[in-house]
Amino acid sequence: MKLTMTSALAGLTLALALSTATFAADIKIGVLVPTTGGQASYGQDMANAVQLAMDELNKAGGGNTYSMVVGDDGCDPQQAVNAATKLASSGIAGVVGGYCSGATIPTLKIFGDAKLPFIITAANSTKLIPANPGNAFMINSTGNDQVAKAIDVWKAKGVKSLAIVNEGDAYSQDLATLAQKSFTEGGGTVADFETVNHGEQDFSSVVTKIKAANPDAVFWTAYDDDGGPFIKQLREGGYQGAIYVGDGSTSTNLLKLAGDASEGVFAFSSPTAEFLPDAKAFADAYQAKFNVAPSSYGPLTYDGMKLLADAISKAGGTDSAKVIDALSKEDYKGLAGEISFRPDHTLARSNFIVIEAKGGAWALAQ
Amino acid sequence: MTLTTILLQQLVNGLVLGSFYALVALGYTMVFGVVKLLNFAHGDLYMVGAFIGLLALSLVAGAVGTSWVGVGLAILLSMLAVGFFGVFIERIAYAPMLKAPRLSILITALAVSLVLQNGVLSLTGGQVMPFSPKLGFAGINLGDIFINYKQIALAGAAAVLMLALELFVSRTQYGRAMRAVSVDKDMSELMGIDVNRIIAVTFFVGTALAAAAGTMAGAYYGSIWYFMGFLIGLKAFTAAVIGGIGSIPGAMLGGLVLGLLESFGTQIPGIGSAWKDVFSFSVLILVLVFKPTGLLGKSEQERM
Amino acid sequence: MALEPGSPGPQSVVSRPSAWGGLGLLLDTPAKRAAAIVVILAAMVAAPLLGPYAVVILTNALLYTILALGLNIVVGYAGLLDLGYAAFFAVGAYSVGILTTVFGWNFWATIPVAVLAAVCAGIIIGGPTLRLRSDYLAIVTLGFGEIVRIAARNLQITGAASGISGIEQPWLFGWHIAGSTDFYYVFLLLAVIGIFVSVRLARSRLGRAWLYVRHDEDAAEAMGIDRVRVKLAAYIIGAIYGAIGGAFFAVNFTAISPQSFSFQQSTLFLMAVILGGMGKIPGVILGAFIVVLGPELLRDLGSFRYLVFAVGLLLIMLFRPSGIWPSGAKR
Repeated sequence: MKLTMTSALAGLTLALALSTATFAADIKIGVLVPTTGGQASYGQDMANAVQLAMDELNKAGGGNTYSMVVGDDGCDPQQAVNAATKLASSGIAGVVGGYCSGATIPTLKIFGDAKLPFIITAANSTKLIPANPGNAFMINSTGNDQVAKAIDVWKAKGVKSLAIVNEGDAYSQDLATLAQKSFTEGGGTVADFETVNHGEQDFSSVVTKIKAANPDAVFWTAYDDDGGPFIKQLREGGYQGAIYVGDGSTSTNLLKLAGDASEGVFAFSSPTAEFLPDAKAFADAYQAKFNVAPSSYGPLTYDGMKLLADAISKAGGTDSAKVIDALSKEDYKGLAGEISFRPDHTLARSNFIVIEAKGGAWALAQ
Repeated sequence: MTLTTILLQQLVNGLVLGSFYALVALGYTMVFGVVKLLNFAHGDLYMVGAFIGLLALSLVAGAVGTSWVGVGLAILLSMLAVGFFGVFIERIAYAPMLKAPRLSILITALAVSLVLQNGVLSLTGGQVMPFSPKLGFAGINLGDIFINYKQIALAGAAAVLMLALELFVSRTQYGRAMRAVSVDKDMSELMGIDVNRIIAVTFFVGTALAAAAGTMAGAYYGSIWYFMGFLIGLKAFTAAVIGGIGSIPGAMLGGLVLGLLESFGTQIPGIGSAWKDVFSFSVLILVLVFKPTGLLGKSEQERM
Repeated sequence: MALEPGSPGPQSVVSRPSAWGGLGLLLDTPAKRAAAIVVILAAMVAAPLLGPYAVVILTNALLYTILALGLNIVVGYAGLLDLGYAAFFAVGAYSVGILTTVFGWNFWATIPVAVLAAVCAGIIIGGPTLRLRSDYLAIVTLGFGEIVRIAARNLQITGAASGISGIEQPWLFGWHIAGSTDFYYVFLLLAVIGIFVSVRLARSRLGRAWLYVRHDEDAAEAMGIDRVRVKLAAYIIGAIYGAIGGAFFAVNFTAISPQSFSFQQSTLFLMAVILGGMGKIPGVILGAFIVVLGPELLRDLGSFRYLVFAVGLLLIMLFRPSGIWPSGAKR
């Protein structure tokens, strides 16, 4: 045991020593995302988006050179704490990321103690808000905003009964229960409420149940990787009502995975999809660099990195108190619309839009 | 839909899902029967099978297209390639461990599973890949029950594979040897059976079945990714144990039973999809309490 | 068919059952042994000097040590395969989480309840199933682990998928246990207690009973050992370790959610036990440290780190099939 311990500790000391040697104009940013485990593709997507933003920032000049340090949280609270502690002690000026809410919550205190600005770009459970020591900023709207938009849409479209399907993780379950509550309070009927497992490919029995309940609309609150197959099976199983998906499923991946069945699917989205001119440029550059299409949280994470860089230049350096102060006063125009914050550091203006899948691409819905 | 049609549709759903579980469970049970190893990497071989199947499909697409023939060919190629891969894994990772404590080889299997998952993760960047052969939407309507051709083909193919396996095990020389080894390895060796060879054949057949299931799952559900073997590995393990681990008919029965438990569990009010796994695990535990070796498992003679 | 244990031959049954396994090979006198323990302890006490990251991952390694010691009692001592040990860990963590946040209890008052809950869980799952053969027991424990996780995910009282956050950190005689260094020392103390208890247990009547049951259940029964009761005792003691680990885990993290109690966690605990050499306490500790520190030291490899770690595991098992720590029996 002693031997392993010594070599382990020697490795650690070395890593710490190396990490303190930074140059004035070089700014290191920590990226806390899962790059291993069942959610790795989303984490990789977010890291790619940060990379793309950094490349553009570095190319544009402006004095600062950005580089990133990825901390793999594996979507697991313990791993996240380890990763965050390591990031916090590796000379970074701020953190971008945060995908799984459950894994992000225990890292808030660590980044808070280290006084690091933390832009949370995907995780949006309402439980993050009270746990925020004041250094974190959430640029993904919380479920409340999305559900408010959804209720308006459903009212306008005359949706009276609804089936809600989530994946039993903090994000999709939160969204599903909020939607259930608001929809019922507004006089609607939740005809069916289902929880499937992430990565379970067979949704046939849930599809049968939905078909039997025959609601006006189905609301899928989880992510695109299972959302695609779910929509496909829903249509193949003969369900003919409307299908809505949440902001975790607004990628082109969903359309590819669902194939023809995606036609006419509605999504609640931050205005990020590739039909907006700015976002289109982002999607093209992303595709060119990484040879895959960006996933649901790519654009927001790209915005998060740009936002942090903007705050750093407004603060005139990486002094964390100044950067945090600059962030709280931000009024930044990103791909996903204007970003400014409420006193609790959630997004001031939710700007959800409704998009519709047409011919294998997303377009603004009527 | 009336209650009857709903229940009939759930029966179809459960049988289709169950045939996947059964195919994967067969490999589990065969390997267990012969080597007494709980091969936790089996689900990951199913995943590797799906990826090799996709690769094979893109290779044969030019010649025969991506319709039924193409998919059939992809399944066969994937079975062959991944079958040999299974034997390779057995040779480098399990064979040296056969004399080691049984739990050590279990950990080896877990390590192999991690290697496969993370290897494919690194190769694919974690992307979920669309697997979209042109098999069409069409199916037949029996009243209100809808069965599409993919489901029929899938259940049919699973049945054919299981039948072939049953014939292989009961009628061929290898099959007989396999059964002999599973009863008593040392004695088989004394009787002149090349035990190592039989173990290799077992891994080949078991892994090939997993690869077939993986490719079929890819074609049927339309997408594949590096973590797809995890859940089905657990489910197949469960299915194999419900049926009685080591028993081939048991694995088939266990797979179908588990598929049906899940589809009806989802339908039963008060259980639903959120609790369906709790439901099936509870049934499993109850089965084992009353029938300690599973539904069809032979009660192994423990010394008195 | 019973599990093969770490395969000490018949000789080791005759010789005094040594929980310290092969330590005797390296350190042949009590004085040397005591000196080694003092050196290791001193190093552990001084470890926080290495900085916050080292403290956090070592705390994690100590938590795993406690859990692996508990699982070792079930797997290593009594020879029962458990694939759902995370369930007991969850029972401890959620007992503390629910009682402190929903009912406003003091942390210290929740510990007896957490332990009691784990004992009940151990009896509920162990009672009807301990007669099963090991492979069937494996799936029953796996199923039980999943049932606990899914229940935590679905129920309102456990905070569903988001879990419970805002768990208050405890006070002890005016000391607010809050910083990561505080918890490092708490876990170090718990690990030392855990080791002490494990060593005493191995040498107790119960420990010898486990040894006999593990080697030959029927012979043990013939000698008047009630094998079901003896196995149940192992289950319960293992569950208590898990619950205490979970309780302190909850106050250390202040937030718990179902992700921490997955099947993968259970397999990691099992890996820790077997990798180092099950039944041998230094081996179990070593295993826990490898399982936690291995992936951490490979962090710079990014998404390759688990691939490299898994290949490492494979090599360890191939070269040391009975675990890393040398077996005391092969003298």
